[in-house]
Amino acid sequence: WRTAIEQNPSTQIGNQAAGMSSSNDAPVSPRSQLVLSCFEELLDFAVADVASECHRIARLGLDRSVDAEEEELRLWAARVAGDHPGAEDGATRAAGGGGGNKGAPDVFGQTHPAIAADVVDCMNCGRPVVAGRFAPHLEKCMGKGRKARAKTTRSSTAGRYRNSNGNTASYSPYS
Amino acid sequence: SSTSRLVESGEKERLMELLRERLVECGWRDDMKALCRAYARKKGRNNVTLDDLIHVITPKGRASVPDAVKAELLQRIRSFLMSSSLW
Repeated sequence: WRTAIEQNPSTQIGNQAAGMSSSNDAPVSPRSQLVLSCFEELLDFAVADVASECHRIARLGLDRSVDAEEEELRLWAARVAGDHPGAEDGATRAAGGGGGNKGAPDVFGQTHPAIAADVVDCMNCGRPVVAGRFAPHLEKCMGKGRKARAKTTRSSTAGRYRNSNGNTASYSPYS
Repeated sequence: SSTSRLVESGEKERLMELLRERLVECGWRDDMKALCRAYARKKGRNNVTLDDLIHVITPKGRASVPDAVKAELLQRIRSFLMSSSLW
């Protein structure tokens, strides 16, 4: 970081940074000036950052697609109350159900049901499960389900991994 | 030098990240982008230079940082400088 050596060498107040706040009424201490200068430099970086991004968007002609996307975001936000993807460009939104675009056509024009209907096989119990219900299934299958737990009590390693209160935090079904 | 120590300690990077995050949250970044887009439309997008955009948004950019964000960053900078004996 550059220290704030400004245009008034004659008004050297401190040793580290000369204040330059000629527009302020109260004199700013050299240390405060240094802190302020650091902040201003960070802000300059932030400004250059956003200017750089916008320059790229302008030169690559992405601003039209940015507009279309913002429109889509607005529609989507209106549809899903209280939710906002927060994505600044379209690249971060995956096709289909990415980012919570439930029910709206994706960039390929496809629509998907709110609950994913694909059927997958649970890697724990081997049963086919509806993908949209997979997390609750896994919860029961790996932890709370008494049957799953009963399976491993027969194994010699069961006692080592089970907590007294049945907490699954250290429980490994693959042991 | 104190400058390189600030950079080496990684604190500058952290402060930059914090500032960036706050400026996104409060909508400052979106405002700046809107200014840039408006300027690019007016001037023609192929005639826009990075320097132009920086000059376009710097005055408004500096003036529109929320007080709370500025205060938070100044406090962080001050604490860091004090704790690292770089005063």
